[in-house]
Amino acid sequence: MNRVAILALKDLKLLYRDKAGLFFTFGFPLVFSIFFGIIFAGIGEGSSKMRIVVVDEDHTDGSRAFVNLLAESEELDVEEADRATAADLVRRGKRVAYVALPKGFGEARERMPWGAVPRVETGIDPSRKAESGMLRGVLTKYGFEGMTAGYPDPAPMRRQVTAIRTELLNTTQEKTAASNDGATFLSNMTMFLDHLDTFLAALPSAPDGTRHGGLASDERASGGFAPIRIESVPIASERATPTNPYAVSFPQGIIWGVLGCAATFGLSLVTERTRGTMVRLRSAPITRVHILAGKAGACFTATVALTTALLAVAYFFFSVRPDSTFKLAIAVLSIAFCFVGIMMFLSVLGKTEQAAGGIGWAVLMGMAMIGGGMVPVFIMPKWLQNISDISPVRWSILVMEGGIWRGFTFGELLPWCGLLVGTGIVAFAAGVVVFRRVEGG
Amino acid sequence: MLCLTRLCKSYGKIVAVDDLSLELRSGEVFGLLGPNGAGKTTTVAMAMGLLKPDSGSVRIGDVGSPDAASVRAMIGVAPQALALYDDLTGTENLQLFGRLQGMSRESLRKRVAWSLAFAGLTERASDRVKTYSGGMKRRLNLAAAVVHDPPVLLLDEPTVGVDPQSRHAIFKGIEKLRDDGRTIIYTTHYIEEAQRLCDRVGILDHGRLLALGTVEQLIADYGGKSVVSAETADGAIRIETDEPMAEIARVQQKRDVRSIRMDRPDLERVFLNLTGRHLRD
Ligand SMILES: Nc1ncnc2c1ncn2[C@@H]1O[C@H](COP(=O)(O)OP(=O)(O)OP(=O)(O)O)[C@@H](O)[C@H]1O
Ligand SMILES: [Mg+2]
Repeated sequence: MNRVAILALKDLKLLYRDKAGLFFTFGFPLVFSIFFGIIFAGIGEGSSKMRIVVVDEDHTDGSRAFVNLLAESEELDVEEADRATAADLVRRGKRVAYVALPKGFGEARERMPWGAVPRVETGIDPSRKAESGMLRGVLTKYGFEGMTAGYPDPAPMRRQVTAIRTELLNTTQEKTAASNDGATFLSNMTMFLDHLDTFLAALPSAPDGTRHGGLASDERASGGFAPIRIESVPIASERATPTNPYAVSFPQGIIWGVLGCAATFGLSLVTERTRGTMVRLRSAPITRVHILAGKAGACFTATVALTTALLAVAYFFFSVRPDSTFKLAIAVLSIAFCFVGIMMFLSVLGKTEQAAGGIGWAVLMGMAMIGGGMVPVFIMPKWLQNISDISPVRWSILVMEGGIWRGFTFGELLPWCGLLVGTGIVAFAAGVVVFRRVEGG
Repeated sequence: MLCLTRLCKSYGKIVAVDDLSLELRSGEVFGLLGPNGAGKTTTVAMAMGLLKPDSGSVRIGDVGSPDAASVRAMIGVAPQALALYDDLTGTENLQLFGRLQGMSRESLRKRVAWSLAFAGLTERASDRVKTYSGGMKRRLNLAAAVVHDPPVLLLDEPTVGVDPQSRHAIFKGIEKLRDDGRTIIYTTHYIEEAQRLCDRVGILDHGRLLALGTVEQLIADYGGKSVVSAETADGAIRIETDEPMAEIARVQQKRDVRSIRMDRPDLERVFLNLTGRHLRD
């Protein structure tokens, strides 16, 4: 058998025999993943509002009123911005969609239900079918509600009646006057408008929220009439949060297992030195390269096995279905590569087990803390989010999520994987240089 | 068989080994006797290629330096610090070290069984090493050095911290290895071990080899005379002599002797005479 494999198998066997070590690499991450999955699920229920941006380009009372309607709604969490900012927020996944009220919106609203139907534009990722459908429903609902809210104040309606009447007379007089039917229609119509005006004049001008004017409720439900025209602009976005909380908690938990592996094997290399087994290994007809490669191989294997096992649990028991298994596999291999390098580097940080263990955990904890291993990055304050970009833990979580639910393209995935692999190589090389110095010869 | 030439090694200001030359004959047990910090472990580490000497060279057989892996395969090492995996069983430890030596499956099976029997551990072979007593670990540490049947053995204090029973077993084992024609370096700070086991002894202090030869030679050259001490009615007397028996007879005739004692020169005296200190304080 290959001597590197002999050494790696020895280390895997030792890990398997060390029940405490085994718990910290496999058991703890699983407990962590499930525990935080449950907690995230709770958080998700608490803030189920869809986060959108509203762009008011009309700046009329009508558009303002509609914005306020949306802002006060139960379904939406509204932020206002200009169109460019809004599109950017959607693209970066900070907001699910934007709703733009273009010029003329307010006027069209005021003339409801006559004239052109008010138009809104939504910007949303076409793949977010559920959210898109929900947003459509919500906008339609408030489209209607805006109308009912418009009726209690009869003044604008009377203005409209007058306007329609003038228009009617101007545009139809010549055409309709020619025929009898036309003349009858015109007189009937003017009569209706007169009656309507009288009716509106009789209404109290104080708004009354419970009263429904304009359209009968069964007419609303008929669906034959839309109070608002929705035009969708497709925007490809990074998704900010997945639907399944375990799709967030498992990558985060897995990271703890990966850190555990790096710490365990890094420390075992120190232990080999302090406990004398390194002397015996070095006395065998193998080189230091074999010894380090064996350790790296064991760490790599354990990391990949651990990650695969936890992802399998996530798949079968928590319905975490990756968007792309292939991309996820690339992510996992890159992560293992990176942390093997970090393991190597940690192993030379201290001469004694205590020193190496202490420094090692401090380094790993630091990475985990800023990198979103403890609390997810999206909960962190802005400044900390920026810092977290320097942590390999952050990159690792990102690439795993990229394969699971972020829907990363290769263009988005590979740079991060490259960063992980590059860091692994640099850390490994640094570790080997120090190791050679410490080990002499 | 094993040739160390003008080895020097310093750790910062501490000179661990100072201009040490040594040539082991094939099939001999060579004792390296010295107090704590004399440089025994450092010498062994250089002999096995673990440590690079600051200057000087190591050659094994007519093959070359232990920097080469193939040359290291000729050496078996029992390090002073126990070099065993606690969470593996005795058998698994020996199998691991045997495999790393590139042994075939069949010879590995035979040699592991042989080594376990050699160390008297056949019955505990499938227990984890962490359940072994100190003496058992020492014996396994020795067994791991011989599992691949190397012609040269470097044994660094193989009996340190061991009960008399295990020590006896280890002595027996080393005598067996010697009878099989192995070349052995045996480091110790126990006089009795050197006297009992070693064909030749080198006395090491502060990294320097002060004297080298058979035990008889060393005593003859550096032991000085025998000492006869007696308590008489006139007081204590102490006489150094080359013929202690004759001297005792003479003292007993002349005086009223209450007690009489004779000290033959031994390695302890050799060490005292060479360094002005006792081997163990
Ligand atoms: N890694 C090291 N760094 C610094 N000094 C060292 C190192 N190893 C050994 N020394 C020093 O070198 C000298 C020789 O040490 P060595 O271990 O060879 O002695 P020894 O004869 O084996 O002693 P002992 O009987 O206690 O095992 C000592 O003074 C020791 O302090
Ligand atoms: Mg020593």
